[in-house]
Amino acid sequence: MRAPPRLLASLALAAGLLALGVTSASADSTLDTVKKRGRLVCGVNGALPGFSLRNAVGEWEGLDVDLCRAVAAAVLGVATRVDFVPLPSDKRFDALRAGTVDMMARNTTVTLQRDAASDIQFAAVNYYDGQAIVVPKDSAARELADLRNGSICLTRGSTHELNLQNWFRVRRLSVRPLAFADEGAMYDAFLNGECVAVTQDATALISTFVRRNKAAGVRMLPEVISREPLGPYVRGGDKAWLDVVRWTHNAMVEAEALELTQSNVDRERRESHDILVRNLLGRAPGNGRALGLDESWAFNVIVQVGNYGESFERNLGSRSPLGLRRGANALWRDGGQMYPLPMR
Amino acid sequence: MRLIAIVLAACVLLPVTQPASAQATLDAVRKRGSLSCGVNGAAPGFSMQNAAKQWEGLDVDLCRAIAAATLGDATKVTYTPLTAERRFAALETGSIDVLARNTTVSLQRSAGVHARFAAINYYDGQAFVVPKQLKLTRVSGLADKTVCVTKGTTHEFNMAAWFTLRGFTIYTLNFDTQEQMYAAFFAGRCQAVTQDSTALAAAIVQSGKVDDYMMLPDIISKEPLGPYVRNGDSPWLDVVRWTHYAMLEAEEREITRNNVDGKLEAKDVNVQLLLGVRPGNGKILGLDEKWAYNIVKQVGNYGEIFERNVGGGSALKFGRGVNALWTRGGAMYAPPLR
Repeated sequence: MRAPPRLLASLALAAGLLALGVTSASADSTLDTVKKRGRLVCGVNGALPGFSLRNAVGEWEGLDVDLCRAVAAAVLGVATRVDFVPLPSDKRFDALRAGTVDMMARNTTVTLQRDAASDIQFAAVNYYDGQAIVVPKDSAARELADLRNGSICLTRGSTHELNLQNWFRVRRLSVRPLAFADEGAMYDAFLNGECVAVTQDATALISTFVRRNKAAGVRMLPEVISREPLGPYVRGGDKAWLDVVRWTHNAMVEAEALELTQSNVDRERRESHDILVRNLLGRAPGNGRALGLDESWAFNVIVQVGNYGESFERNLGSRSPLGLRRGANALWRDGGQMYPLPMR
Repeated sequence: MRLIAIVLAACVLLPVTQPASAQATLDAVRKRGSLSCGVNGAAPGFSMQNAAKQWEGLDVDLCRAIAAATLGDATKVTYTPLTAERRFAALETGSIDVLARNTTVSLQRSAGVHARFAAINYYDGQAFVVPKQLKLTRVSGLADKTVCVTKGTTHEFNMAAWFTLRGFTIYTLNFDTQEQMYAAFFAGRCQAVTQDSTALAAAIVQSGKVDDYMMLPDIISKEPLGPYVRNGDSPWLDVVRWTHYAMLEAEEREITRNNVDGKLEAKDVNVQLLLGVRPGNGKILGLDEKWAYNIVKQVGNYGEIFERNVGGGSALKFGRGVNALWTRGGAMYAPPLR
């Protein structure tokens, strides 16, 4: 019996496509979906100052917001073509798995057990968070060792207590933890002067003091004493999309390392003879093709969003109400962890 | 019948984007009972056989750690020396399970359907070595001179870019292998030799001519080195990645080969998670819960393998520099193992 012509034709087409190396995985790639849709859908926190929050006039701002915009600039050529979807903590991975969002930039810690899960994958670390210590602005303490023998507020039974004890013990110094079961009571106690400092992850500290309208009266010490690397996540099994998000973040760090900014990148693209700059900005092609993007992808990121340092300063640093120092988020050559992988 | 034949023909064309061994490297390693590791073989401090024919080096120890994690036995490794030009092909065709060959991680090597890097196990940079008698102080002094370089590496590219940017001319002599390159350099066929600083230092120390040669101070590129695995096998990628991170975590928690047994009694939750006293990590990686314990017990933490291979316990005597833990000014930082 002869097969119907249409069935034969579609089988032949499928066979032909397979022979060309086009698997169904790449046909479903988020990169294709986003390009077709013409907009990027980004899962965010939505209530975390400095990371993702709407300002007084309803515009989205934050480090994670900037990363989403950077991906939109890289893929679509226009940073503003992003829809932000606030995700509560317990629903965030479901939204990613279900395809409700293309990526998640939601101050989410990269951990072994999340990385090894097959259905989600972290793409980069865009903020090295960790346990930090806040003191009143007029405190004499300039660094954590200055708090030796002092009372420090923290939450009972948390890794924060363990990390703090470890930090002082290793340096043969003493400290007096003041432990609370309730986070709110802990902050109340600190603001009442019952302890000289309070400790929790930096992002949680920021969030609380800003929400309580007390950010102006406190200061964060420079030390970060635990590892909470935060970064964007994508769905597992979609390497092309993973690469786009990963190398977008990397491009922002590389741009900072090469001293390319929003204001000078246009001139640098035209005039620079530095092969690293030419590679990054697409004057020497190759990176775009490897990623399935236009060769001006990184140029679009930098001119429309800025380099990593610019994004940090506007959202968390000296040009923001938070005034955080770069710390672990500085470039590796300035003592931080931001090390851009070679883009060639 | 004809329809079935057509469907079968279509199915035969399926696995063209990935070699048949993708997705199952962990199973294959277990079935075989040994890990097949692609290495340099001529890189002192990274991968080389000593006088007693035993394999030694930072990359060798990473392979041993992977074997300890997956097979419970760090000795169950076969090493395949590979030239720079053949290294990725050996990985893609399945001749080796992992490439631990002081290979720079870069965008175009790891994007698309190419191999995937699992981690950075050494942050290096490209440098130049010259005879002291040339009395050079900077790399710019090599303008119009000849430099020996190995084919198929990023070094040639970086060097050309560096000199072109500054408007200098440079001549190169290219070689298939590192050994040929150094032989030519020591025979005076070129005025300089270039490679990652660690490889250069090792070669000079090995030549016994430390007094006659010097490394110029300019490091002209970032060369983050790390292991690669095949694309399309995420569980295997995770095993290799977290093997490296487990060694960093062990160093940060001050767990060593000598004290790891005692640490099994530790109250520190982080230590319990690492050593499998609190289970979970092993299960999700598809490994025994003692995977990280076995790594530290049989191979050591990152600091120990650094010291023995390239640091104070070796002839090379490199400082930790960028390869120090993040708490000590370096870039070695592991995400939490939980």
